[in-house]
Amino acid sequence: MNDSLHDVVVIGGGMSGLTAAIHLAGKGLRTALVSRGDPVCSLSTGCIDVLDIGKRPLEAMGELPEGHPYRLVGRKGIEDALKMFRDLMAEGPSPYVGTTRRNREILTPIGTFKTTCLVPRTMEASQGCRDEHLHVISFHGIRDFYPSYITSRLPNTSFSIYDAGASSTLAIATRFEEEGFVDDFCTWLSGLEIPPGRVAVPAVLGLRNPVSLMNAISARIGRDVFEIPTLPPSIPGLRLFRALKAAFQNRGGDVFWGNAISSVETRGDMVEAVTLAASGRPSRVQGRVFILATGSFVSGGLFATRDAVKEIVFGLPVDIPGPRNDWFWNDFFTTGHPIEGSGIEVDSCFRPVMSGLKNLFVCGSILARSEIMKYRCGHGMALATGLKAAKMCERMLL
Amino acid sequence: MTFEHCMRCTICVENCPIYKVEPRFPGPKQSGPDAQRFRLDGEKSVDEWVKYCCQCRRCQVSCPYGVEVAEIILKAQLKYGNEHLSPITAHIFANAFHFNKLGSTLAPLVNRIESWPIARGFLGMLGISGEIDLPAFSFINLERGRRRKGKGRKVVFFYGCHLGFNRPDIGRKIRDLLVSVGCRVVMPRQTCCGLPALGNGDLDIARKFAQKNAAVLTKYIDRGFDVVYACTSCGLTLMRDYPGILDVPGGKKIAENTYNVYEYLLPLLQGAGEEGGLGRLDRTIAYHIPCHLRALGIGYPAARLFALIEGLTFHVLDDNCCGMAGTYGFKKRNQDASRRLGVIAAGPIRDLGVDAVVSDCGACRMQLGHFADLPALDPVEIITEAIAHRASGNEARAGGLKNLLNHLT
Amino acid sequence: MTIKTDVIIIGGGSTGCGIARDLALRGIPHYLVERGDFASGATGACHGLLHSGGRYVVKDREAARECITENAILRRIARKCVEPTGGLFIRLPGDSKRYRDEFLASCDEAGIETAILSPTKALDLVPTLNPTLEEAISVPDCSIDPFRLCMLNAYTSRHRGGGILTHHEVVEVIQEKGRCVGVKARERLTSQVKEIRGRVLINATGAWGDRVARLGGVSVPMSLSKGSLIITNHRLTNMVINRLRPPSDGDIIVPNEAVCLAGTTSIPVSNPNNLEIDPAEVDIVATQAEQMIPVFGTTRLIRAYTGVRPLLRVSARDARSISRGFKVIDHANGMFSVLGGKLTTYRLMAEKTVDAVMAHFGLKAACRTAELALEGQDELSGYPLSKRLSTMDDIVCECELVARRTVEHAINTMGTQYVGDIQHRTRLGMGPCQGGFCTYRALGIMQEIGRVSPDASITILKEFLQRRFKGIRPALWGDQLREEQLIESIYLGILNMGVRHE
Repeated sequence: MNDSLHDVVVIGGGMSGLTAAIHLAGKGLRTALVSRGDPVCSLSTGCIDVLDIGKRPLEAMGELPEGHPYRLVGRKGIEDALKMFRDLMAEGPSPYVGTTRRNREILTPIGTFKTTCLVPRTMEASQGCRDEHLHVISFHGIRDFYPSYITSRLPNTSFSIYDAGASSTLAIATRFEEEGFVDDFCTWLSGLEIPPGRVAVPAVLGLRNPVSLMNAISARIGRDVFEIPTLPPSIPGLRLFRALKAAFQNRGGDVFWGNAISSVETRGDMVEAVTLAASGRPSRVQGRVFILATGSFVSGGLFATRDAVKEIVFGLPVDIPGPRNDWFWNDFFTTGHPIEGSGIEVDSCFRPVMSGLKNLFVCGSILARSEIMKYRCGHGMALATGLKAAKMCERMLL
Repeated sequence: MTFEHCMRCTICVENCPIYKVEPRFPGPKQSGPDAQRFRLDGEKSVDEWVKYCCQCRRCQVSCPYGVEVAEIILKAQLKYGNEHLSPITAHIFANAFHFNKLGSTLAPLVNRIESWPIARGFLGMLGISGEIDLPAFSFINLERGRRRKGKGRKVVFFYGCHLGFNRPDIGRKIRDLLVSVGCRVVMPRQTCCGLPALGNGDLDIARKFAQKNAAVLTKYIDRGFDVVYACTSCGLTLMRDYPGILDVPGGKKIAENTYNVYEYLLPLLQGAGEEGGLGRLDRTIAYHIPCHLRALGIGYPAARLFALIEGLTFHVLDDNCCGMAGTYGFKKRNQDASRRLGVIAAGPIRDLGVDAVVSDCGACRMQLGHFADLPALDPVEIITEAIAHRASGNEARAGGLKNLLNHLT
Repeated sequence: MTIKTDVIIIGGGSTGCGIARDLALRGIPHYLVERGDFASGATGACHGLLHSGGRYVVKDREAARECITENAILRRIARKCVEPTGGLFIRLPGDSKRYRDEFLASCDEAGIETAILSPTKALDLVPTLNPTLEEAISVPDCSIDPFRLCMLNAYTSRHRGGGILTHHEVVEVIQEKGRCVGVKARERLTSQVKEIRGRVLINATGAWGDRVARLGGVSVPMSLSKGSLIITNHRLTNMVINRLRPPSDGDIIVPNEAVCLAGTTSIPVSNPNNLEIDPAEVDIVATQAEQMIPVFGTTRLIRAYTGVRPLLRVSARDARSISRGFKVIDHANGMFSVLGGKLTTYRLMAEKTVDAVMAHFGLKAACRTAELALEGQDELSGYPLSKRLSTMDDIVCECELVARRTVEHAINTMGTQYVGDIQHRTRLGMGPCQGGFCTYRALGIMQEIGRVSPDASITILKEFLQRRFKGIRPALWGDQLREEQLIESIYLGILNMGVRHE
């Protein structure tokens, strides 16, 4: 059997798992990151939502219910995590802007505005774009972005279509990074008669150097340019995930990608190893400490049968709000369905209560009562709990 | 029926290299779980476009829900290949082993003429791309020369076609490294692992190759041998397809007893490494992870060996497929897509300013060596270079490393 | 605005559309008025089963004969609506052998072709069947697309001088001197009211039969019962599977396009509007289906749906009934009602209704609906399903392989603003993600074509998503619950359309 011994094994390569893994690897600990697949943050807008209550997210923490995971982290912990994130992203080609003191807005693909906190630099000029004329550039044949959604809802907008020779966000983003494309694009763009104001594109400005592409376009036409996030496949989401994964690998972390955990070994009150159903022969990953960050239903960490909810790796107990008919409100548009509160209960050290396991920590959207849709706190909560749980691990190991 | 679990999330699409550059390919989600719902009536296949999938398996590795995307597409490719006449290129590549063997036998001639325009033109008529130079062949291939070496742990080395016919030097380095850490290495008669045939729609030929290998390998396993592979595509085929789609007798046994050579060496070299590193090498390299190594799910063992080498700066790059994908990039119809992917993958490598690109996979080496315009090495070349450096210095110590040096040619 | 015609048909289900086609072929000017899209009643909420008649043959030989006759006719005239899947009646351990014997004998008498299959043979044909089955009897059941059927019938009407008004609700029946002479119909989106005048009204509204009859000052005794069905993610069987026992809940599984439909339940209701599906119904159906195809217990379900059976309350000595399955009533005030029946016999029902109307006016044109193939079938995608995989260009709904040009064509030919209309005609949004991605795209396309006003677009999107959720909610667990969280993260997350629950 393929066997490897690590100090820390992080299960789940999403926002919180990656945060924990990066922190611990950065402290010189032998860290393994085990993930069944890519995380759902690679489908997201790429922005970091902290809390959508009022304008000041950190100050509104007091309005959260008592059991919310943010409460366990505390304000300082949240700020530390967001600072860590900003510093990490500054290492790479897609730095983030924003302040935890105030939320900000980004324009959505249907012409509404969404509250968030930290955004990639390529979305910086989205804030306040209502105050001037906005010209939207779209691409011929693109099926996941329709400028008419925006121009029909917002006044003082217009649009043009460019033929990029490709029709998916990924293919267009690839074009943007190929020789000569951005020059041709800028030439076309500067030939249009756009009123003074800003220019927006769907988020297709490449994977590797979106900021320099944005700056190049902006310089050519003398206007502020920003990206609008699209439906998946999401380029900014992909950039976010890859940047964090690279940060982990650059700190010497090991990734075990693409396989589910087929079994868990415990001895007494300690987890010893997880076994991955790798091709042919199982792969055994040993650790001194384990972090569970597998996420909620959509991420794969929780699974609902007709009348119960299971946590799929360790079988930790999960409470449900009642029989199945009580899981969802009748209205699709109401956020905060009761089932979203289901998850793993942890103590103040982020250890799951009632599991009896001393070296297992839990963080991220798998935590009970995180209710990320309701409070719009997804990535922020993932970062905050990821870092806090990592620090708990660190204490245990060092 | 893993396609049931597909959420249509498009994570697989985000990871597909071909989707980025090949407009004729509708992407892994559509080719796999989406189309599968329509394939259930047992009728003759009409989905010719599945041929554009290069079977890099990145879709399957990235799926969070366990959908076997690549496998679904592979089955569709095989069904289509079974029901329709394949182009001549497919037949050539399915039988690449025989052509490689021929190339090796006639190496002096083939190496001379393979880059001549007339030869390229002829190959072009057969649908073979002229983008990359064909690899040189070696007359003294691994079938000739020593078949057994060393004492100790019993190891069978499955070296694959590329090492066997084109780069036997790398094959010998690997063999010697294994010997130096106390292995008795046997290189028996072997044939193609079967992946080129699988990738060109010919299940029957793939099975024939696989069955031949399986007969040999199981005999050794029964005698207490472990099997190691160096080429990660051969490895994936042995570990996954032999017990899986190829369904060879003894397939499960083979998968249970086969190891990536660096995975195998890790515990053996770590011991030597604990005496103060694996050696020293002041180099900066880019380590390009082959797609099939990711798919194996064993982590990146060679990287863990690199971590034991003092002075070596290595950057692990696993976000891009190089675009060669075995025989895929050698086909004219894929020429554009393959070139674009090669440029994309080479970009970060060039940006890093490294002095070499390293990869376990021969195809990746050919492609990236060309597009990044750098020497392309196998991990063993770095490891043995480090060991040689260290031992040739005055810091040679008794035991461990001296032993290592003694056995390296 | 007043429209003048001869016959006004109220109801755009299979019966109403069938009548429209029949009238068109007999050269009678007519208008059809339907408050929703075609097939928005029982027609669109049934099994999609073109009966061989096996289900009725033991208890009602006559009904079964009608079924098998119509089955053969529809297979011939409606090729692009009917997938000739064949069907099996399977006998599981414990099922009555006596019923089986009666079944075979009755089929014989009714002219339904059967063949007895061993378990091995049955499992060969349908590998997912319960391996403990003792026997299977094959019958010529087929799968039928009820939407397409209605649309193609309406096509003939439109192309031969008939008028079709969908999304128009009849709010008043105009009566003069005690006779029904027309209707007032309100268009759903604009609330504009149109007046249509004619010489006779045909009430073909199924479960709403009594309500519409009352608008005309008469009434029809009806007994309404709700039936719920579930839809699986993929085809678990390529043949219709029935249980060889007296008909009861949940004993039919029908392959339909790329999914399976299974049902049904039978719960009395008084109101055919605003139906709710009880999660318990979903469990009942899944449990019954599981007995025939075991994997039903764990397979992914993508949604549930429900409809109301338009059953007649028939008195024992009713001399006017033409067949025990359905009834045509002449109310003697200018209104005819056709009630009861089933999808399989729609054509026959239409024929008898039009015959009655013709007789009333002393006209003599023969019915030709059985001899002529449905017009307008050429451009439609056909069977087998796998043939649709030959091109994958410009697909808008990836789950159901709907191309952009198909969507644009549907929008342009119909001039519609309803995403539901596009859905029914193209199957957009009927796959596993239930329109998660393609709804956004379809509306985007509609906007680009200029078909939808800015104000309407978000409203339409919201309405559609809400209706979609209603169908999904009763079957929301497992993979489908994950799917739903993903779709939420798109519409409520990325597009920010949500409202916080307080």
